[in-house]
Amino acid sequence: MATLHMLSHSPFSDSRFSSCLPLLGDTDALLLSGDATYALTAGSKPATALERLSEQVAVFALAEDVQARAITALPPRVQLLDYAGFVELTCRYERVNSWL
Amino acid sequence: MGADGFFIRVAGVSCRLFRNGAPMKFVIALFAPPHSPAARRALRFAEAALAGGHEISRLFFYQDGVHSASANVVAAQDELDVAAQWNRFVTANQLDGVVCIAAGLRRGVLDAGEAQRYQRPAANLAAGWELSGLGQLHEAAQQADRLVCFGGQ
Amino acid sequence: MARSMLIISRQAPWAGPSAREALDIVLAGGAFELPLGLLFLDDGVFQLAASQQAASLEQKDLTANLQALPLFGIDNLFAARRSLAERNLDEAALALPVEILDDSGLSNLINRYDHVITI
Repeated sequence: MATLHMLSHSPFSDSRFSSCLPLLGDTDALLLSGDATYALTAGSKPATALERLSEQVAVFALAEDVQARAITALPPRVQLLDYAGFVELTCRYERVNSWL
Repeated sequence: MGADGFFIRVAGVSCRLFRNGAPMKFVIALFAPPHSPAARRALRFAEAALAGGHEISRLFFYQDGVHSASANVVAAQDELDVAAQWNRFVTANQLDGVVCIAAGLRRGVLDAGEAQRYQRPAANLAAGWELSGLGQLHEAAQQADRLVCFGGQ
Repeated sequence: MARSMLIISRQAPWAGPSAREALDIVLAGGAFELPLGLLFLDDGVFQLAASQQAASLEQKDLTANLQALPLFGIDNLFAARRSLAERNLDEAALALPVEILDDSGLSNLINRYDHVITI
């Protein structure tokens, strides 16, 4: 029943992030890639919004994007993935909704 | 959900400890041009899907994704040539690569037939791709386990 | 059993071809009589505003095409309450009959479909 939502745009310059979060169900998951990983910037509003998500919502980020942007001090709940993990994640959820 | 595998963080990068199981049939749709990070991300995902033992039943390029199937893109010497990499990937793995014809025409990505039909100076669709309709996206989605889309401006 | 697809249209009617290209996906699926849903979200709800004049921009009339959807067997149309409210669009004065959903309704809607494409 659960959906993997994927975001790849900056939460600071784009509305996809703020539109997506209210739609996450308790068993859904969120994968941040590309500029959406800026949402992990410590102390930022988007980072706070992520922390406020239900504990049951799993939050993932693409490791290469986090590393490229030198984002450190990740919230403990965020799990980093390589591409093999990314593929497997899409298998674990029933559908994938990319916010194009 | 989540019962059959978990991720641990090792030096900042997680490793998959348990494989999830049965191979899946993927349709991968790309909506972004080759210079977009999404085009590279989609390719790396596609490569990982095959490496993970899954099947890619179709690739479908739509909207600005049609440019990622262009044979006319000239990448700078010190830049990644994503369009060329996509073409090599499709050809080497004998994948079914479809470019939406309506989206292609609108954006000037044509095969020889369409260039002739519309009297345009160039056919620029790369060799590994075929122009076809959105019906191909639906047909593939009907048979696939997962439809994964990449792109967005 | 046919797999269902939800198309989520997030762009305003004349912000480039996205609104049209989302509709094209819906129409293509309708031609195969596939189970489809179309959700208008974020600026996509502007596609539902009444009395629009596409001709002013030398554009095709998207509204007329959307209104014809039930003729193609596509009548699972939805709009996000939050998006309408943010844009002060009157739920009672939309150009199409749509089911209006709040956030949890949208979450449940998405989880009812086999595939989702958000344009």
